[in-house]
Amino acid sequence: MTPLDQLLALSALTVVAVWLIGNRQVTGWNATILYAAQGVLLMMMSDLGYGEVQSIASSLTFKVLGHGLHWRFDGLSWFFALITIGAAFLASWFASGEWGQRYRAAGGSLRLFHVALALNVFSMLVLLASGDLLSLFIGWELVSWASFLIMALGSATATRYAMRYVTYAFAGAMAVLMALVMVYTRSGSFEFQDFRDAVPAMSSGSLWMIVILFVAGFGVKMALIPFHLWQAKAYAETPGPGAAFLGAISSRMGLFALVVVLVQLVGVERLADLQLVFPFFSARDLLSWLAVLTLIFATFTALRQHDARRLLAWHGIGQGGYMLLGVLIADDLGSAGGLMHVFNHATYQAVLFMTVTAVIHRTGTSDLNKLGGLVTRMPLSFVAMLIGIIGLAGLPPMNGFVSKWLLYRALIIDGSPLLFLGSVVGTLGTILSVYKLIHNTFLGQLRLEHVEVEEAPSSMIWPMMILSTIVFVTGYFPGLVLDWVASAQAAVGLPVLAHNLGGVPSHKGGLDMIWVVSVLLAGFGIGALVFFSGGRSKRVHQLDNYAGGHFLTAETRYQYSDNFYPGLMHLIGPWYRKSFRWLERGFVSTVDTLSQAMQGFYRVVHPSFYLLVAVVSALTWVVAR
Amino acid sequence: MSPGELIIELFLMPLVAFVVGLGMVLMYRRIGARIQRRVGPPFFQPIYDIIKLYGKHTQISHGLIHEIGIIMAVGGYVAAETLLPVPGMSGLADKGGVVTLAYVMMIPSLGLALGVGQCANPNGSIGISRALTAMLAYDIPFILVIFGAAYVYGTTNLADIIAIQQQQGPGGWGIVQMPLLALAALLSLQGIMGKQPFEIYIAPAEIATGPMVEMSGKFMGGLFVMQCFQLYTVGVLYTTLFLGGGEYWLTFLPKIFSVVAIPMMIAFVFPRYRTEDVIRLLWKWPVLIALTGLAVVLR
Repeated sequence: MTPLDQLLALSALTVVAVWLIGNRQVTGWNATILYAAQGVLLMMMSDLGYGEVQSIASSLTFKVLGHGLHWRFDGLSWFFALITIGAAFLASWFASGEWGQRYRAAGGSLRLFHVALALNVFSMLVLLASGDLLSLFIGWELVSWASFLIMALGSATATRYAMRYVTYAFAGAMAVLMALVMVYTRSGSFEFQDFRDAVPAMSSGSLWMIVILFVAGFGVKMALIPFHLWQAKAYAETPGPGAAFLGAISSRMGLFALVVVLVQLVGVERLADLQLVFPFFSARDLLSWLAVLTLIFATFTALRQHDARRLLAWHGIGQGGYMLLGVLIADDLGSAGGLMHVFNHATYQAVLFMTVTAVIHRTGTSDLNKLGGLVTRMPLSFVAMLIGIIGLAGLPPMNGFVSKWLLYRALIIDGSPLLFLGSVVGTLGTILSVYKLIHNTFLGQLRLEHVEVEEAPSSMIWPMMILSTIVFVTGYFPGLVLDWVASAQAAVGLPVLAHNLGGVPSHKGGLDMIWVVSVLLAGFGIGALVFFSGGRSKRVHQLDNYAGGHFLTAETRYQYSDNFYPGLMHLIGPWYRKSFRWLERGFVSTVDTLSQAMQGFYRVVHPSFYLLVAVVSALTWVVAR
Repeated sequence: MSPGELIIELFLMPLVAFVVGLGMVLMYRRIGARIQRRVGPPFFQPIYDIIKLYGKHTQISHGLIHEIGIIMAVGGYVAAETLLPVPGMSGLADKGGVVTLAYVMMIPSLGLALGVGQCANPNGSIGISRALTAMLAYDIPFILVIFGAAYVYGTTNLADIIAIQQQQGPGGWGIVQMPLLALAALLSLQGIMGKQPFEIYIAPAEIATGPMVEMSGKFMGGLFVMQCFQLYTVGVLYTTLFLGGGEYWLTFLPKIFSVVAIPMMIAFVFPRYRTEDVIRLLWKWPVLIALTGLAVVLR
């Protein structure tokens, strides 16, 4: 058995074991231990992550209708698998303590929850290991159904949106299948290598079709515009730790598949050759703009959410835009930024979903208009969320900054000011939105009913602290992650980023996070010295306060939370409705035109004549053969 | 450069920034006084103010985050100064670059926002909501300018950007090579510095609505120190990108003082805009000018 066989077997075993243990409190702890064991097995393959071995094959292969199916891990698969197993381990740990008790007491089945989670992990590993287009498709279908399973565990809303997801996923799967058929007719096999060899000979038209079909199929999972309408609500309503897992890694499977198809097999140069409007706009530009529009659209939708979980879920969609954009730039800096963002996003998104779940666990709500002032009651959760939002906003010293810096640097070298502007607008919108999140949850006035609230239980605090440490440490020493990113780049044939422990050395403006973060910490130290050199300050109660000439008392409490950015919304608020209406109208009128054309074809204009023409030409064709 | 020298530079750069920043605050007040036909404060007034604020008897703290917010606001700028090369000292210019600097400059705003949020005063939160909105407004033209400059000079290293301009003499300065971007930058500086007509979020004089509403004693002192750093950072960054930096302090200081003097003079003859008008204005003119400038340099 190869190490990959062992990993896949253990992952399958985890599903079975969790099923057998059943709906008991120990299920979670057992699952956690099994994920840890999977992590150990993955670490035994760490040569992949450091580029010392190109690939590790699975001994499991079989033939269907003369086509060999096989599975293997390369640097890219290892990198994604690391994030998957890590996220599952921490999410399962989070779910094992008090959260599990509460979930079970409320009538939820821990067996179903953990089986769904373990199935997700297993199917993702199978997808990541796919060695040809057919096994990629099989893995893809498994992942789609597994994520439906975990989403359907949530409330009625989640189930409704999970159903909507299934519809999208079906359509997407059909698109992928069509693309596969097209590839097969042109290259004669489902092997990666044959597809790659066939690409140069393909006509632009058929390559366009293949690219569009693949993007439509895999874009559903990434919630790329215009396939974005299902994800936010479905993820948000999934049971807390499940949402943390899905938010961290699930939609990145779409990115993985796109990287394999677009970068490894078709090649980004070929995409740039596919001109839409000569010579300005190629398929690569089209996809880059889809990525940036997804980013802006989702980020500014997040800004308007009143529910913490939905806000985070929308950001998850938006951040996917950065990853796709980075990969499409396809130079060493940009693609490293895009791939590294997958890791970074997984870490901070998981910690943010976990803090929000911890707040729900203690207060019973994630409504941003019904919280506030919790920092005094839940200080550790506050710290975790603070670290998470700085990462999400992409500010130094957290890891989110490094991947975005790589992306910005690549866009500057590439000379694409509008894409650059779009990605910065996304970052600025994120800063506004995450400040609203932390302000409305942890800052401002503490509500009367929350005065007795306690800190989250240790089973929740530990995973949160581990993740926040990772967010900080990989921001301080980005080289730790860039090593893995570099071998992932090598695995798909992208130029490999030259890096060191602190970041990127370059004589044209590099980045050394060790110095930047150190000087930032030293700056805070000096700031503290300056601050504490002043006179003694007196701590006062939150109601020992005044507002606009009135004293705030327990009777007239006032937390500024609803419609947090009125000035901005006054200006851009109407754009939301208009852009939705515009998009809708576009779809409707396209369909309308098509149906009118059909009507004209069949009813209004002499149907019998057309029928005659069709029959005659069919007959001619048969006779001529 | 030896590590010892670097450490000395890292200490000196924020110190110099603070002293020069005090001078800029003094200039700001003197300009205001001249325009309003007053005499203005004495030379050491900024220092007296800081001593007064730090020594106040009544200092109200609303909790640890309130204090950490002020520390972050000052500390973020202290760190930013080490990324900004000045005559004779280039600090960490080769390890960060202009994109990193632009993001480090957002940390003080975030620190301030956290600190004010902890005060549990709705009027403070309203101020922060306005401040972050204004940041969204002025950062868009500013980031276009940074893109243009980094693209034209072919590097994000600020020390190299200065060297490239100095090799070519005044004819090679950014303001000559890309005048439209320089103009857009000047307009967005007005917003970055939080001066009229874009200062509704501070609203210093007449409304108790803004980040200052709960700041007393050393909290206010911290904001004062932050303002010194902020004026200095903005002036030096503009000089570095467009005015060829400085070979000697004697030529460098006049440049940075005149850069910040322009927004200050505009500030005292303008009323203020509402938040939505701030966005509308900054998203229209500076962005249009910057995009035209980019079209010229990208050609």
